[in-house]
Order: sequence, then C-alpha cells, then structure tokens
Amino acid sequence: MKISQRVKKLRDQSLNAVEKISAERALLITQFYKSDDARELSAPVKRAKAFEYLLKNKKICINEGELIVGERGPAPKETPTYPEISLHSMKDLEILDSREKVFFRVDDEVKNVYKKEIIPFWKDKSNRDRIMSLMTPEWLNAYNAGLFTEFQEQRAPGHTVLGYRMFKKGFLAVKEEIKDATDALNFFKDSNALEKFEELKAMDIACDAIIMYANRHADALEKIAFNETNSKRRTELLKMANICRKVPANAPETVHEMLQHYWFIHLGVITELNPWDSFNPGRLDQHLYSVYKREMESGSLSTDELDDLLGCFWVKFNNHPSPPKMGVTASESNTYTDFCLINLGGVKPDGTDAVNEMSYILLDVIKEMRILQPSSMVQISEKSPDRFVHKALDIIKTGFGQPSCFNTDAIIQELLRQGKTLIDARNGGASGCVETGAFGTEAYWLTGYFNLPKILELTLNNGFDKMTNKLVGIETGYASDYKCFEDLMNAFKLQVNYFSDIKIRGNNVIEKTFAGWLPVPFLSLLVEDCIMNGRDYNSGGARYNTSYIQGVGLGSITDMLTSIRYNIYDKKKISWEELMKALESDFKGHEQIQYDLIYNTPKFGNDDDYADRQAVEVFEIYYDAVNGRPNTRGGVHRINMLPTTSHVYFGSVIGATPDGRNAQLPLSEGISPFQGVDHNGPTSVIKSASKIDHLRTGGTLLNQKFSPSFFEDEDSYEKLTALIRSYFSLDGHHIQFNVVNAETLKDAQRHPEWYRDLIVRVAGYSDYFNDLGEDLQNEIIKRTEHGSER
Amino acid sequence: MKGLIFSVKRYSIYDGPGIRVTFFMKGCPLNCLWCHNPEGISPFPTTVMQTNKVGEREFSKNEEVGKYYSIDSILEILDQEKVFINQSKGGVTFSGGEPMLQFEFLLEALKSSKKSGYHTAVDTSGYSLAENYQSIIPYTDLFLFDIKHLDEAKHIESTGVSNIRILDNYRLLMESGKDIMVRIPVIPGFNDDPDYLEKLRQFIILSKNDSLKKINLLPFHKIGSSKYKKFNIPYRMGNTEPPDKEKMKKMKEFFMETGVKVKIGG
Repeated sequence: MKISQRVKKLRDQSLNAVEKISAERALLITQFYKSDDARELSAPVKRAKAFEYLLKNKKICINEGELIVGERGPAPKETPTYPEISLHSMKDLEILDSREKVFFRVDDEVKNVYKKEIIPFWKDKSNRDRIMSLMTPEWLNAYNAGLFTEFQEQRAPGHTVLGYRMFKKGFLAVKEEIKDATDALNFFKDSNALEKFEELKAMDIACDAIIMYANRHADALEKIAFNETNSKRRTELLKMANICRKVPANAPETVHEMLQHYWFIHLGVITELNPWDSFNPGRLDQHLYSVYKREMESGSLSTDELDDLLGCFWVKFNNHPSPPKMGVTASESNTYTDFCLINLGGVKPDGTDAVNEMSYILLDVIKEMRILQPSSMVQISEKSPDRFVHKALDIIKTGFGQPSCFNTDAIIQELLRQGKTLIDARNGGASGCVETGAFGTEAYWLTGYFNLPKILELTLNNGFDKMTNKLVGIETGYASDYKCFEDLMNAFKLQVNYFSDIKIRGNNVIEKTFAGWLPVPFLSLLVEDCIMNGRDYNSGGARYNTSYIQGVGLGSITDMLTSIRYNIYDKKKISWEELMKALESDFKGHEQIQYDLIYNTPKFGNDDDYADRQAVEVFEIYYDAVNGRPNTRGGVHRINMLPTTSHVYFGSVIGATPDGRNAQLPLSEGISPFQGVDHNGPTSVIKSASKIDHLRTGGTLLNQKFSPSFFEDEDSYEKLTALIRSYFSLDGHHIQFNVVNAETLKDAQRHPEWYRDLIVRVAGYSDYFNDLGEDLQNEIIKRTEHGSER
Repeated sequence: MKGLIFSVKRYSIYDGPGIRVTFFMKGCPLNCLWCHNPEGISPFPTTVMQTNKVGEREFSKNEEVGKYYSIDSILEILDQEKVFINQSKGGVTFSGGEPMLQFEFLLEALKSSKKSGYHTAVDTSGYSLAENYQSIIPYTDLFLFDIKHLDEAKHIESTGVSNIRILDNYRLLMESGKDIMVRIPVIPGFNDDPDYLEKLRQFIILSKNDSLKKINLLPFHKIGSSKYKKFNIPYRMGNTEPPDKEKMKKMKEFFMETGVKVKIGG
C-alpha cells in the first residue's frame, strides 16, 4: 500500500485530534425525551424516534480530502455521551478532563450544558441508576468488593458483528422484509403480536432514519462541491454525494460504496446507543473480495484508488475513541480503543480456505497505516497457507501488537458445540478481544469479569472481605479449618457457585432493563433473525443469544492453589498459621516465606502437571458454575477467559496471596502464566495453556512476549508458524505476540515523550504504551521475555 | 544408564531443522578461549549460587549445574514437545560440552530417540574416537560439526587440542551419507583474516560432497561473558568485540561460492 498525501493528512489529523467530550448527543436526546413526540409511545418506537431525531439534528462533519464520510460527533475524536445509559456528574466530567490517562477534555460550554440541561433531566433516571436500584445487597457487596464487574453499567450490550447479509443489501430491501414480517403477524394466535407490530414499526422508522442521514451527507457534499474550486475534488465530492444517495438505501456495488455503506451502518449503531465493542465489519476481506475483483477486472478501480479508499476507511475508526468510561468500568477497560476487530482469513461457508488477495491487501493496510484503531486479527485454519501466517508475522514483528492470531478450527468447534449450524459457525470469528461469535446472527453479550483469585481469598477467610470489612461470601470456614486440599477445593467451589448465582441473577435483571427500556431497533435490523422474529436485539431477537462471564486470573489462582497444595498439604513446609500471618503482614518480616513461595514452588506455565492440574480444576469448577445457565433472551450463559485490563483492577482489591504476590499487585492476564514465573520457554507455556478445554469456552487469551531477535533469523517465520500451528493443533483459541524488548519499554517509561507512537499488546488489544497506567506498564515490562539466546 | 546434562533447551531453533529440544551434555575435552558455555566444560556436576531479591532482602541458594538424566527422562521431555517437533519437522539435538564424551549414554539416547521417531542431531567438536562416530552414525540424522581452525598450532593454542583427529573425523562423517552442517565460529583475530578464509573455503570445496547441507557462520558474541562472571571462571577474550554485520554478510557471500548454503547463525 502506498500512503498518499490525502491519507497521510487524514491520518495526521486523526492522530493529532484531542479527545473531547461533545454534549451534542446528550442535548439532543434530552430534547427528544422532553418533547411531546416522546410521550405515549411504545419503548421500541420511542427509541426509533429518538434515533431519527438524533440523525436529523446532529451536525454533519465532512473532513477535508476524505472519501468516506460521517462522524459520530461534530468532529474527529469529539465524543458523545449517553445519559440514558449512564449520567456523568459534574465531578465525573472534571475527572475525565483532568485525569492523566485516557482523558477527555471538557470545555466550559459542555459543563454548562450538563449543569443546566442534562443533569437536571436525567438525575436518577439513567439505566445505570435503574440497574443499581434493582440489584440485591449481596450483588452490591460483591460488586463493591471487586468480585466481578458489570459490563452494562455504563455501556449498552452490543457485542456483535455485521455478517455478509448487510453487505449485500440496502435498507429499502430491509423495509420490504419488515413489511413482510408485519403482514405475517397473526393477531388471532400470537399473544405477542402487538409487541412485534410495535417493534417492526420501530425498525421501519430506523431504516428511514439512516437513509435520511445519508441523504443529509449527500446534501452537504453537494453544497461543498458547489463552492469547491479544485475541479478534481469537485468531481470527487459529487461522486461521494451520489454514493450517499445510493447507500445505505440500496445494496452497494463498488468497493467505495461498500465502505461508505458499512460506515453509515457503523455510525448508526454507535449513535443509537454506546454498545460494547462499538461495531465491526467482521470478515472484511471476504465481504470486499468479489466486488474488488470485479472492479479490478473491469478497470473501474485502480490500485491507487483502492489504497486511498482503504486508508480513508481506516482513519474513520481511529477518529472514534471508545465512549468515556468512569470508575470500575474505566478500570476494567482503560483505553481509547473501542475493540473493533477486523477478521482476515479463516474459511468460507463451504469449509475451504478463505484467504484471498484482499486478505493480503488489508494486511498491508494494517502495516502501513499503523494506527490504534481498527484492531485486526488473522484467522488461521489448518487450510490457511503459510504465506498468510508469514505475512501476519511480518507485521507482528514490528511490535505494534497487530494482528493477533486466532484458530479458525477451534472457533468453529466452539460455535458448533453451542448449537450453531455449520454454515453460521464458518461465517463466524472473534471480536472484541478474543470473543467467539457467529457473525451477523448472534448477540453474544459480555456481562462482566469474574475475579477467581478474590474468591480464593474469601475462601481462606470464612467469606469475610478485609478490604471492605464485610461478610461478602458464605461462611465455609477459615484456612486452617481445611484439613486437606480437597476440603479447600470443595469450599472454593461453594463460593464460586455462590458468586456466579449472584452474578447471573443480576445479569437476568439487567438484560430485562435493556429489553424493557432501551430496545435498539436499528441494531436489530442488522442481526438475523430479529426482523423475522419481530423481536428486538436486546430482547432475544437474534438467532443465537449468549451471555458470557469472563474468568480472570487463571495463572494467578493456579499458582495460589498449587502453592497451598505443595507447601501446606503435600510437603508440609509451612503451616496455615504461618502462611496466613505472612499474608496478613504482606510478607513484611516473612520474606523467607515469600521467597520460598516464589522461587521454590511449582508454577503454572512450565508444562508441569503438578501445577497445571489446579488450572484444570478451577476451569471445571468455573465452567460448571456458569455454563448452560439460562439468560432471559432464550439463550444461556457461557464462559470465556480474558481480562482486558481488569486483572490490574482485580489485583488491586486482593491482599498478599499464597503464590508470593504482594498485596494489590496485578493478577496474571488471560490464560497466560503469572508474569515472570514461566522459565521453560514458549512451548511449555503453550502446553500448560492448552490443558484447559478451550473448545468449551467462547474464547481464551494467551499473551506471549518475544524479543525482536526472535524474528530476525531467516528461518524464524517458519518456526513461529509451526509454534502457532502447534498451539492450534492442541485446540488453543488465540495467541498474540508482544514483540518488544524490556529495555525499550523501560526507556519509554523514562522518556514518554520519545515514545508517543509506541503501541504494545496489552491483553486482547493494543494500546499506546503512554496511555497505560504505571502499574500496567510495569507488568508488561515484567512479563517473561523469551530471549533467543541460550 | 544416566547422562550428565547441564541444560535442556526447549523451543531450540538454532541447532538443526525445525523446533528441537537440545540437551547440553556436560564435559568437554576442548577448552576454547571463546567458549560460550563455560559451565559445560567440566565433566562433573557443580553448583552455582543463585541470588534473588524479595523486597529488600536477598536470598541465595545453590543451584545444580549438571543433573543426571535417564534415557526415559530424555524421551519424556521429547514426548512433551512432540507436537512442536512434528509440526515443524524438528527433532532432538545433543550438544554440549562434547556429547561424545558420554559416548555410551549418547548412543543409547540416539537409539531410543530414533526408535521413537525423532530426527536426531549431534553437535560435536569432532574430537573423539573414530570408532565411536562409526557407532552412532546409524542413529544420527545430522551432524553439526565445528571447524575452528585448520592450522594445528593455532588450534592447540586456542582450544587446547590438536585438530588432526578432528579433521579425520570430519572426512569420515562426510563419507557416512548422513547430513552435515559445518559450523564455523568466527572469532575476530583468530580465524577471520582473508588468507585463512580462502584456505578454509578451498578445504571445504575439496572435501565436500552431497552430505554437506549447510555452512553456519557463528559470529563471536559476548553473551557468554556474563556466564563467566556467574560461574566464577576467568574470561579470556578481553575486549574482543563481535564481528560487525557488514563483515558477516561479506563472509557469507564469500562462502556461498563453495556452492553450499550459508547461514549466519545456527
């Protein structure tokens, strides 16, 4: 890919734009909710009308030189708020404005609007307030103690990806589908017919709204074209105007139309509400390929034009930081990244290799654009050519943390186990960090991180939490009451079951708040079979409806339990009394014990069954506690194992632990070993990590840090490819490489000003090193560097 | 039967094709000035003080350098790594030290590895009895063979032994029909002047046949120097710096004229 002056300018504009809060959306939604139009409407129609009102009145932004148009806010990185989801207080705004990391500037005008208009209207009325008022004291205690987080507290559920259907269809045709579904309603036999009628009506309004929004862009483009003196740009602007008149009303027929079509859809989703993972075009190489091929053959698209279009498209994602998060939500996901994860490769619906020319072109775009968003991944199946993996490694080695590597064959098996059809499974992939989903057909909601090591801490203290000074768990006994390791594991299991019950009960209430008050008629148009079912995406309208709870700290809890088993029960090196005393004092005065716990105790990540069997045991307990429990949308709960940045937050609420970890330090992330305890190299890490059954999860995350020297040798790509394929043959779900040496990172800490472009892999996503908190920076530095020297 | 091994390297990617497990066997009859595994020279188990800091306090323990492994434990490790070995068409490498110094164990380890289907490699200085090489040839797929210097006096000076036996064994293995990779440690001031390199190239051209698969140029590096400190062994390379990359590239091109594949590094 050649980066043209145009794309360079837009990329610079995006990189240099400062993240700011925009009050535009908050103000519009407040105006709408206050208006007469909002009264006496069913929930879906009200939300559709709100959507229409937003799209009708929001400012149209067209940046100089761009080919793909549309911004969520009034300008790049100007970020709206969603008071109907959660309301920022004046203090919140001040924190957002002044915090060092992941800040959002808030100017006086915004503060004024908030003070006068937004806060008075929404106070105690946001969905966050509704959720908190509905939660039980047990839920609130556990939440405050850091046992779990709640994803839907500040953002709406989304967690879905656009499938192939909407790349082949315009909204006029969708309106036909809606009409057919409405005509088919049976008011004689179906007691829900009226609800469906209202939902379909709302969907129809949403179709008109997005078409109207595109036409507003066409109007604006024509106006700019009228005043444009450069004739080349004028022609371009008029062409863009024509495209906005055509899509998304009609099916796109060129690459340009396809990208603009998707972008309007993307904007629609992230304007309607603030769903997690923003939105995602999914298998972009598959969607674009045939149109690209046709255009290349007919000569209607040159390579330079294609590069320009893709460059412009890429910048669009980077212009949209994730909506401002506060408190626990900011701790669990402390990043501007909004988790759009573009999938490349994989297999076609017929099961054959899907890697095509466009896969390579897009890898090239990722390499040359080198921006935080969108994120990207490669789906590697047994059928994928090595050349494809090598090309990905070629980008990975530059240390920018993208793309990450996924196992298509595992993803398909995970989806099949969950009851998806083979075709839907093959059309799937991973989104967000590592989450498995059937693209275009599944609503797979993440509901919160689950702090497994914290549960062990409570199990050692009869359910009592010393941090919040409350009885949070159940009274299963104190550490010294457990006469054998099995006693301890039985008590741990009871506690896990107790907290998963609390979490699932909470989930089932929270889901209903979204179904009842915050339907998403626009998003419902995009995911099959919402229209056919006449049901909203937020009420189980999708073909598949899954709720996930994400387990955190597998490496840490494995080491904690292994240490207990080894030092207390098997080898009897220390007593419970000694250990608990050492933990209470955070090892002060007990350094010899801490040393033995760290250096003379088996650890997860070394292919040592003595340690690894605890990982399997915890995994099975957690799996049994969650998997298959019904949600409210006709689906069930399942588990996955990923942390985003919650392992830092979860560590901060836990005292010293039996693995020798000091109080409040971060936990291990994903299914990776605890930082620095794996000393047998990457093959042993992979072996340990593959002992849990990935195929019964909806995604696991394994992070491996490599020094750049691993990639220098002429044979290194082949060997790394073999390493990846080996992990995948053991059913590993995902592996990502952090390619950077510790010295570089330390230097970046000392001189952040020199490393503003340093992107590192965090956990399931990449981030600017400078935007990470110091604790997270330290943790990344500490992660074992598998040197190439012997 | 047990073998004394001072290090087991998994994901070993520089000691033969694919992903391998390399067993570093303790004891070596040579004493090369630049040796980067000085802890492998002595044929006896030793210990080294390992110090770790916890909080403000330092804790030390004696770590064993050299542990005895049974043939079964060798196979167990290989089986643990099987998936990587198979995927990458890798195998097992016995290195050292000088693995031939523990010939009987090596022979059994090679036999058992072969029997279990693993590709086998022996990384040797060539300084052993010809009949011992004859015995392991049937169970060895690849020899990694060091040529440190062709001049006997120079060889003695810097390795402590004559090279006559080494060069004889080199010719012997070249006739064995097994794969050979010649490894040339490039030591500045010792074996890197143009006249010598020309002589070496001629030697390779004259002695080679289809068995010779690759020439590995192993540039001198100072990573070993920290080991000398750790194991309390006097470091004898003074301020010798690694050869620069340009020089290595030229040397690579120079040796490519032998018609053999040349690689910088293992």
